[in-house]
Amino acid sequence: MSDVAKPNNPEDDWKIWLVVNPATWLMPIFFALLVLAIAVHWVVFAVGLGWQ
Amino acid sequence: MADQSLSGLTDQQAKEFHEQFKVTYTAFVGLAALAHLFVIAANPWW
Repeated sequence: MSDVAKPNNPEDDWKIWLVVNPATWLMPIFFALLVLAIAVHWVVFAVGLGWQ
Repeated sequence: MADQSLSGLTDQQAKEFHEQFKVTYTAFVGLAALAHLFVIAANPWW
């Protein structure tokens, strides 16, 4: 198990695209980000930190 | 078919895409930081 190459980040970050094809997954990633942003804003307003 | 990556991208394509991804992501973080500074200026949450 020790001869496995250790990842070296951020230099090796680009290799994610050798696993995740952006042509397929870039828009789903953007939509997930949008859902997360809406959820965060929802919570912030729900706890009363939004402008009243 | 053996030496193709899981995503099908070549190393060169992955590196090229990552360069653009970093630029766009940096812009996103910058804009979010700016928005947070406006909120802090207008209505600090602590």
